[in-house]
Amino acid sequence: MPTKFVTLATLAILAAPTISTAQTLAEANVKLLEPYDTVKVSKIPDGIYLRSINDPDDIIWERLPEYRVEMNPAFAAHESVELRINYDAETTQLYMTLARTSERFYVRLRWVDDTRDTATTFGRFRDGAAVQFSLGDDETSPVMGDGPENAVNIWYWRADDNSVQNLAAGGPGSTTLLDEQPVTGEAMYFENDGDPNEWVVVMSRALVSEGAHTASFDRDIVPMGFAIWQGAEQQRDGLKTVLDGWVLLDMSAD
Amino acid sequence: MAVKRQLSMVMDLNKCIGCHTCTSACKLQWTNRNGREYMYWNNVETMPGTGYPKNYQDMGGGFDADGALKMGTEPTAEDYGVPWDYNYEEALMTGTDPWLRPNVKPTWGANWDEDEGEGDYPNTYYFYLPRLCNHCDNPACLAACSRNAIYKRQEDGIVLIDQERCRGYRYCVSACPYKKVYFNEEISKSEKCIFCYPRIEKGLPTACAKQCVGRIRWIGYRDDEAGPIHTLVDKYKVALPLHPEMGTKPNVFYVPPLSPPKIGDDGEAAAESRVPLDYLESLFGDGVNAALETITAERAKKAAGDESELMDTLIGYRHAEMFKLS
Repeated sequence: MPTKFVTLATLAILAAPTISTAQTLAEANVKLLEPYDTVKVSKIPDGIYLRSINDPDDIIWERLPEYRVEMNPAFAAHESVELRINYDAETTQLYMTLARTSERFYVRLRWVDDTRDTATTFGRFRDGAAVQFSLGDDETSPVMGDGPENAVNIWYWRADDNSVQNLAAGGPGSTTLLDEQPVTGEAMYFENDGDPNEWVVVMSRALVSEGAHTASFDRDIVPMGFAIWQGAEQQRDGLKTVLDGWVLLDMSAD
Repeated sequence: MAVKRQLSMVMDLNKCIGCHTCTSACKLQWTNRNGREYMYWNNVETMPGTGYPKNYQDMGGGFDADGALKMGTEPTAEDYGVPWDYNYEEALMTGTDPWLRPNVKPTWGANWDEDEGEGDYPNTYYFYLPRLCNHCDNPACLAACSRNAIYKRQEDGIVLIDQERCRGYRYCVSACPYKKVYFNEEISKSEKCIFCYPRIEKGLPTACAKQCVGRIRWIGYRDDEAGPIHTLVDKYKVALPLHPEMGTKPNVFYVPPLSPPKIGDDGEAAAESRVPLDYLESLFGDGVNAALETITAERAKKAAGDESELMDTLIGYRHAEMFKLS
């Protein structure tokens, strides 16, 4: 466990002594977002910088509001997924912080994962996380878009090489790596003594980015979706947990 | 899946001597590098045996009677056999290691049970079964891919994995009942036999067929009525698919092996064949008995000095004529 995290965790306990041990540290203060809720994207003031561009453990994240969404197994869009899916899986929580500077958009994701799965080898699958943005409005299907005219832009973080891919899709099975790769990211896995282990992932992109199927942040509302893959449960492709719908980002914060 | 033309292969198991030249040819051409070292796109198994990967016939996949995909399992590295190499340089050249030894402890490999077979003396038996991707009419790998990364070419029916689209989900690996799709850990994508399509496109047979010293392999288009595939599969019906019950409609066919009679307790030849008919039927389906009878009859004709188109085809007098690629 990084030293700094211990310090922050200690502070959090002092500030919120009523947190139950079953919850992760910040949970009591975390507002639950329902699908199609609107959430303000926090503005990081000019002159405040992360230690490194996507530092998951930067002290800035403690100063910004965190939200959570409930994640459930994604609808099986293919026979191979249907054969393997477990619809009875428990609802899990994904915590997120949404922020921007005057130049970049950031999303920080945090979720409980008992095992750190970083191998893509025989019989083993890597952990992963993705966010997607509707290129249009919230009428676009949150199931990865619907057709080339109603596509989504996906940022996919994978645990095996701790990299982020900039992708586009127009429905399940159509995910395509884009020529332009302006999205960066970084992840840390925290083995928390007495608390569940967690992945924390930060992904970011310049607010202004060129290229086809690249989400624009120059609009009042940006529909955003979320997905998590648990490698230990052989999750890949449509075998994942998702927020069943969009969260609507209010980009107007100043 | 209807394609304009279907390239097919027939292998005569009566002629296979288990020399693995086909496997070596394939490996040198395609799988001795870049994360494919453990793969055998072509291999030769001793039957009855565990096959390759180990016990692949019990790993599911394929389709049920209603045409729905069946769940399959993904073989482990141990099921394939972890490839090993020897310290030739140190042991034989520099002398820095007194022992020639493998770099990993060999515990299983593609031919670990080679030539074991079944039965009790004097009725022991085995035969060789070379296997490659069947380039099926109804490929389970293709059906299982959620990304349409697998396709079947219209012009020759060769089944290929688009390496640009593959994202390494491995549904294809478990769906193929023949376990002829392999996961490449180096690139996190799946790969398989490509029926040597770059050779085919130049009018050359696959490496495995070209190098076959036993001349057991024919390649041609199924719809070519003057070609060897039509003669063996459709006209004389002596070449049969492996495990037709899996529902994938393979395009690789086998001439089942004849065998000498069993020897009874009295030391005399019994009516049954050494390789049990029901075992062959468990591999190649209901057509085995008729195929064996046809071959026996045609062989007798040829032995008597009469004409036999079937035997002339099976003999393969000229290797080049065993391949009809246009």
